[in-house]
Amino acid sequence: MMGDARKAQDVFHATLREAAERAVNSEAPRDPFWLFRAARDRCLEASEQGLQAEDVDLEEQEVAPWAASQIERLDANQLAIWISGAPDPQRTALALFYLDEFSHHDLLALTELTPDELAKAISNGRQQFQGWLNTTVPHTEL
Amino acid sequence: MKLAQLSRRQRGLALCAPISEEKIDDRAMRGAISQAHKTDDFVHQQAFDHAVNALVRTIPIPPEIAEWFSTEHIILGPPRTWQRLARNPAMVAIAIALGVIAGIFVYQFVEHLHDFPGSGTARRLLKVASSTRSIILDPIKTDATALGDLFFMKHRLAHYDVPPEFADFHTLGARVFDDEEGLRVAQVWLAEKRMQFFLFPAERDAKTGKVLDFSGWRYVDHEGWTGVVQQRNGVCFLAALRGREKDLAPYIAKAKQ
Repeated sequence: MMGDARKAQDVFHATLREAAERAVNSEAPRDPFWLFRAARDRCLEASEQGLQAEDVDLEEQEVAPWAASQIERLDANQLAIWISGAPDPQRTALALFYLDEFSHHDLLALTELTPDELAKAISNGRQQFQGWLNTTVPHTEL
Repeated sequence: MKLAQLSRRQRGLALCAPISEEKIDDRAMRGAISQAHKTDDFVHQQAFDHAVNALVRTIPIPPEIAEWFSTEHIILGPPRTWQRLARNPAMVAIAIALGVIAGIFVYQFVEHLHDFPGSGTARRLLKVASSTRSIILDPIKTDATALGDLFFMKHRLAHYDVPPEFADFHTLGARVFDDEEGLRVAQVWLAEKRMQFFLFPAERDAKTGKVLDFSGWRYVDHEGWTGVVQQRNGVCFLAALRGREKDLAPYIAKAKQ
């Protein structure tokens, strides 16, 4: 979500602090996804400060059969930076989806998107990432 | 085959198919994935997603954060409560089915609560009574008590006697016929309130052939007709009229006095 480990760590600690304070005041959230929602909100808030990603239309390309081998050539930071540059709610959808910790229903509840919106966000994200991959690590170079 | 050929709903689900199979928690998603597996682009999509997830898992997590997640499962679903269980469609369907089955059992139990040996035949004869026209009976104008001799002499039916409670009534007609189970039934038509008498063999034990006895008068009803039955000497006597139990009760009460 942040594309920056230090900022992500700050968000994590701030969210935990808030959870602890709520627990002390007997206001412990009943929502099992509260921690993720709160962290997501803080990430979005923090992202609004500092440098902003350029608002460009990314070229969408069909997911290629050789995409896996292109992705293997990447560094995790490159992926993190790419996802953190995506507009929300696509950024939230992609970040949570690729964590692979949530079911489809959980994702819908967390992102507060409709099934169609979630499908579109993830599908477009894949195709834009494939477009970016084709530019960054072209298949012909492998 | 292409993903685009799937239905809109299935395509939508397939596009967000969870990367791990254990995250598939509903039937619709399972069905969509099963269909999508037949397409090449879904196979490419899965390879893509697995590769991205593998890359995500290489992101180092600082130890001070990792220690917060001591267990593998970081998401705990809401606890299973009775309210959630009660709202489950499968549970609702099971509850309705059990309710219907219980209702049928209760209905059957109440229906047969006052059954006695021969009650089935008595109900069947109430149906006969409701559909009988007086012209199909042989005209016999006499006292009901005299019919016992007639049935014995003419039809060799022993003990087909009208009980003393109903012996004083005047008859208009009578006949003897075999009912659908082959029982010899005597039917008597009376002037009194268009009442009808039936005399028929009492029910017997299928193994021993012994008469299944019951004491006193028993009521039976069927589609607006009510009857009162007594068993004596292996023969059941049924007095039937159109009406309710209270219409027949005075005749029985009179006899008791």
